[in-house]
Amino acid sequence: MARLLYVHTGGVNTPERSATPIYLATTAAAMDIEVGIYFTVNGPTLLKKGVAETLIVPKYDGQGAPLRRFIDQALDLGVKFYVCQPSLDLHGLTRDDLIEGVEMIGGAAFNDMALEADQVICF
Amino acid sequence: MTDAPATDRTLDCKGLLCPMPIVKLSKMIKEMASGEVVVLEATDPGAVPDVIAWSKNTGHPLIAQDQEGKVMRFWIRKA
Repeated sequence: MARLLYVHTGGVNTPERSATPIYLATTAAAMDIEVGIYFTVNGPTLLKKGVAETLIVPKYDGQGAPLRRFIDQALDLGVKFYVCQPSLDLHGLTRDDLIEGVEMIGGAAFNDMALEADQVICF
Repeated sequence: MTDAPATDRTLDCKGLLCPMPIVKLSKMIKEMASGEVVVLEATDPGAVPDVIAWSKNTGHPLIAQDQEGKVMRFWIRKA
C-alpha cells in the first residue's frame, strides 16, 4: 500500500491554511493510501478540544464550514493524526487538552515515518 | 445514451465539491460486492481527473463515462 505523510504547521491564526492538508489527507485515505498528518509548529493548536468546532475555514462568500467537519471526515476514513511534545509545549498544551484520536510521537518516530513514506508533503 | 453499463447503485454527488465525491465513492465501494457497478453523478469539473486517479490507485476500473449538460457520470465496477 502506498504511503503519504503530510506535515501541517498552520494553526488557529491562519484559518485559511487549516483545512487543506486535512482534506488532501482525507482524499488520500479514500484512495486506499495509508496516510498520516504530523501537526507541528502551530498545527497542534488546531487539535485543542473545542477549537475546531468554532474555527471557521473561510470562503469568499462568508459561508465557511467549521474545521471540525474536516477533522471528523479524516479520522472517520482512517487518517492518522500525530503530534510531538515540544510543539505542544510551545503553546502550553498537554495531551489531555487535545481531541480524541491524536497519537503522540517524537522526532525519531517522525523521521522514521518520513523515510518509510513514499512522499512527504509539507504545509 | 444507449450503451450505458448495467448499474447496481447510483451515487448522487451533484453539487458536491472536492473531495466529497471521492470520499463518498470510497465509502460506497466498501459496501459493494465484487463485480457490482456504481454510477457516480457529479458536477464538479475536477471530478474527471479525480475519478481517473482514484480508479488507478484503488484498482476499481472506470468502465464508462459520459456527460449530459453539467452532469458527468462515471461507471465504476468494484474489483
